[in-house]
Amino acid sequence: MSDTEAAEEKFAVEVRAMSKWYGDFRVLHDINLTVKDGERIVICGPSGSGKSTLIRCLNHLETFQQGYVSVNGHELNEGMKNVEAVRRDVGMVFQSFNLFPNLTVLDNCVLAQRKALKRSKLEAREIAMNYLERVKIPEQSDKYPTQLSGGQQQRVAIARALCMEPKIMLFDEPTSALDPEMVNEVLDTMIGLADTGMTMLCVTHEMGFAREVADRVIFMDGGVIVEENKPDEFFDNPQHNRTKTFLGQIL
Amino acid sequence: MFEFRFYEIWRSPEYVDAILNGCLTSFTLTLIGGITGFIMGLTLAIIQLPQNPAIIRLASVSYVEFIRNTPFIVQLFFVAFGLPLLLDYQWSFTTSALLAMTLNFSAYFAEVIRAGMNGVKPGQYEAAASLSLTRWQSLQYVILPQALANVLPSISSQFIFLFLTTGLISEIGVEELTWSGRFVADRTFRDFEVFIVLTVLYMLMVYIYLGGFQLIKRWAFPWWSDRR
Repeated sequence: MSDTEAAEEKFAVEVRAMSKWYGDFRVLHDINLTVKDGERIVICGPSGSGKSTLIRCLNHLETFQQGYVSVNGHELNEGMKNVEAVRRDVGMVFQSFNLFPNLTVLDNCVLAQRKALKRSKLEAREIAMNYLERVKIPEQSDKYPTQLSGGQQQRVAIARALCMEPKIMLFDEPTSALDPEMVNEVLDTMIGLADTGMTMLCVTHEMGFAREVADRVIFMDGGVIVEENKPDEFFDNPQHNRTKTFLGQIL
Repeated sequence: MFEFRFYEIWRSPEYVDAILNGCLTSFTLTLIGGITGFIMGLTLAIIQLPQNPAIIRLASVSYVEFIRNTPFIVQLFFVAFGLPLLLDYQWSFTTSALLAMTLNFSAYFAEVIRAGMNGVKPGQYEAAASLSLTRWQSLQYVILPQALANVLPSISSQFIFLFLTTGLISEIGVEELTWSGRFVADRTFRDFEVFIVLTVLYMLMVYIYLGGFQLIKRWAFPWWSDRR
């Protein structure tokens, strides 16, 4: 008993035998995954493999029907009450940025601090400007999102998530919707974040990024974790045929 | 050939007064009914959101369906003559008109606002949720502002359309513009001229409202741009 308790404590994310269905279709099949504090995980795989669904389960944007998931010590389940408490510890960055077009860049970063964390206006603004400086975009703080380029919008989205000072950051294909010349500014921001010791789970096909920052690379296909390894091993010596085929296609 | 004799209308200050008062009454009643109708319509639309209990959603949907599929004149007579009998309390015809307009406008606005909320991208709900905002907070600060901006043009044209139907409230004796027109026409026998004047006045008021909607757009949705 004390063993399991100790084990639970040191994992930022713990997923045991988790399965998810859309109707009759099983999108996630018996997923097992543990992530330690400060670990950086890259998840890749063909589209429809369930990788986005997996990380969306971790902040309860999606529910699952079977298995055990705990995130930063909170156990998740369908119909749970205090979802907001889990989400306070988990930041998320989306493929399509999802900035709020009705708010300025600064207010995008301030809103949830004020409403969910009940920070004062002054404090929230200070924290927001601090993170906007970290993503190198403080001069745009009074603009509206539509006035920014895609890369700038995604950096604001990262700052907005960081303002909540989460323990874990989830990235759902953060560079897939970007023009090629804007991919690097976002990746650099993410690398900078990794250097601070943030626990990160990134769904991405940026293999250069995976090599540079990931502690582990996970390959998913058909709702199953097919292979999981350190980046060098994963790229240089993939074990499964499906992994080899996939790497052959994208590298 | 027919000879237009507009001066028959201007001749008497009594007629001019009646027409100006009619304008004022039509304009203010529609404005007040529009605002209360909007607030009620917004409430009806929010009630219809999927997170609410099925029973109250059904009530809201039924109400909107009922109002939109029955004639305004029937609703007006019900409020002016039926309801006072049922409640055993008589209110003024102006009150009846305002109440009927509110009930009627709200159903049309509810339908437009509901469509606007459906039009907000799911990613907006997800982003708000991922920042641990509650549903109500997301609605208030993220979803509704965008939904209302989306449908402001529809709301404005719906409002103008409803304004142009308010002539019906003259049927219960409210002295608005259409009532004034009849009042003057009955005394001067210049029906044609009178209703030309009314047409121009209705149009003028429409343009005042449209100007108001432009101001609302600039004031409430400064972030709105057509490039998206």
